[in-house]
Amino acid sequence: MATALLVPWAGGALLIALDGRRRTVAWLSVGALAATLGALAVLTVRVVSAGPQQTVTGGWPAGIGIVLRADALGVTFALVSILVLLAASAHEAIAGPRARTFPGLVVLLAAGLTGLFLTADVFDFYVFFEISMTASYVLTTYGGRVRQLRAALVFAAVNLLGSFIFLLSVAGTYRITGALAMADVAERMPAVGPNAGMLVAVGFFIAFSVKLGLFPFHFWLPTVYSGSTPAVAAILSGAVANIGGYGLLRFGAGVFTDQLQAAAPALIVLGAASILYGGMLAVSRGDTAEMLAYSAIGQVGYVLVALGVGGPVGLAAAVLYSVVNALNKGLLFLASGLRGPVVAGAFVIGALSVAGVPPAVGFMGKLELFRTGITAGSPALVVLLLVGSALSLVYMFQTYQREFWRTDHPVSGVSALPLRALVAALALLVLAVGLWAEPLLVLSERAADALSGRSG
Amino acid sequence: MILAFALTAAVLFGSGAYLLLQRDLVRVVVGIALISQSAAVTLIGSSLTRGQEPIAPDPGQPISDPVPQALVLTALVIGLATLALVLALVNRVVTALRTAEHEELAAQETEHEESLEADQQRDRDEAA
Repeated sequence: MATALLVPWAGGALLIALDGRRRTVAWLSVGALAATLGALAVLTVRVVSAGPQQTVTGGWPAGIGIVLRADALGVTFALVSILVLLAASAHEAIAGPRARTFPGLVVLLAAGLTGLFLTADVFDFYVFFEISMTASYVLTTYGGRVRQLRAALVFAAVNLLGSFIFLLSVAGTYRITGALAMADVAERMPAVGPNAGMLVAVGFFIAFSVKLGLFPFHFWLPTVYSGSTPAVAAILSGAVANIGGYGLLRFGAGVFTDQLQAAAPALIVLGAASILYGGMLAVSRGDTAEMLAYSAIGQVGYVLVALGVGGPVGLAAAVLYSVVNALNKGLLFLASGLRGPVVAGAFVIGALSVAGVPPAVGFMGKLELFRTGITAGSPALVVLLLVGSALSLVYMFQTYQREFWRTDHPVSGVSALPLRALVAALALLVLAVGLWAEPLLVLSERAADALSGRSG
Repeated sequence: MILAFALTAAVLFGSGAYLLLQRDLVRVVVGIALISQSAAVTLIGSSLTRGQEPIAPDPGQPISDPVPQALVLTALVIGLATLALVLALVNRVVTALRTAEHEELAAQETEHEESLEADQQRDRDEAA
């Protein structure tokens, strides 16, 4: 487990000092990310076969040293995030990075994300959270034009506020439970007064919702996603937004179980509002990046609905859908910046995946969500899911038609072959995971078990 | 004592939130800084305990909790780093645009995009 953390850490610290505009440095960063992905894959196999892995840093006894704990939930999110980072940095390495810090920052972001998904300590979570967010604030400026600067400013201001709300909630957690390790906090939560517990839980919920761009906290998201370059938008929506989804699952279902149950109806209503609002606005947008941004708002609504329904089926669906959504958004944002026949095909696969048409992986996500709706015994929920899917089909193909059928498009010409091959490979991965979905299903069920096992 | 800490944190957060909503970018940054201080004050205030210093205490005596101090130190360092980053960002915006006002930024951006749109229209007309 230590390798999975040390590789991106050392790699990032080294690469940030080198001139990232050189091709070799860019490819070195791709190599570092690939090594991280490999270490995480080994870790995943070990977690699935032998159960959660745990190390205490620095050889201290547990309780003094900080505990790193890899369970199925953490490694699933880590794997998919690093995969999206790898695709985005390979995209930039082929195109030639335009800023000297880009390759190093992506690797540092990978270090922050891996740490965040593997830590078992609330305050450590905050530290890794800030490491990843700081790297992504700088990444948002990538491109260096006025649009990107403005996007970075909005992104930094809103998300710093979110981070400090998170820190305030950490202070509250320490006050009411006297512990910072997640397992201890979860153990002591039932003894805590309901009002104080709820207040802290709401603080965490707001912090993660800001990150995720859920309906009432989404206001910053379209500006940022449409302002940044395609590779950075793919990183933000495919990797950084995972923090929010993971946080909601880990803290909601793993630590604040009673509060989650009490707030379940509110979560389902918010999720439904997010789905409808995101879908409606995505249909009305003319710009591809803006459409994808509103689509992202709609898609995270599904995760929230699944989390609100809860139970093994709901939690597994939430994990699965987060993974699917990260892959989809990574593919679509990268494809939206390119042109050419293969790219159009890749975009269609991404679009079908968002709408939930087999054999793309999105179908598995939607299927699990329908199972959730049926388990909850609520026809309204199933209808909502159907309406959401129909909306996504409309906005996706509207954009496809406008972008790839238009002959007088301002971005003319066909993109370079390696770039198109990269997007095609990502699209094939989305198809392959959809066709051979058992590993992903097993992982997400294990993740749901890990969550309910910890709370029960 | 806890009440004093709570009041300080509340005032800091309130002023910070007010500044965050201002048009001037420097004020926005100051707002972020104040909110980060409010979080630090809350961290200390939320875990005040009376007792001896935790280094070599007399056995059987209560000790004051050292953990929050460590947390606040870490949070302060992170706050400093993000503050420096945001200031650098504002500096870049000011040198690029010669303005530090949110609305002027938005206006300039719209203007810029409109000029681009006109160029694109001209290209299309020529191509047709």
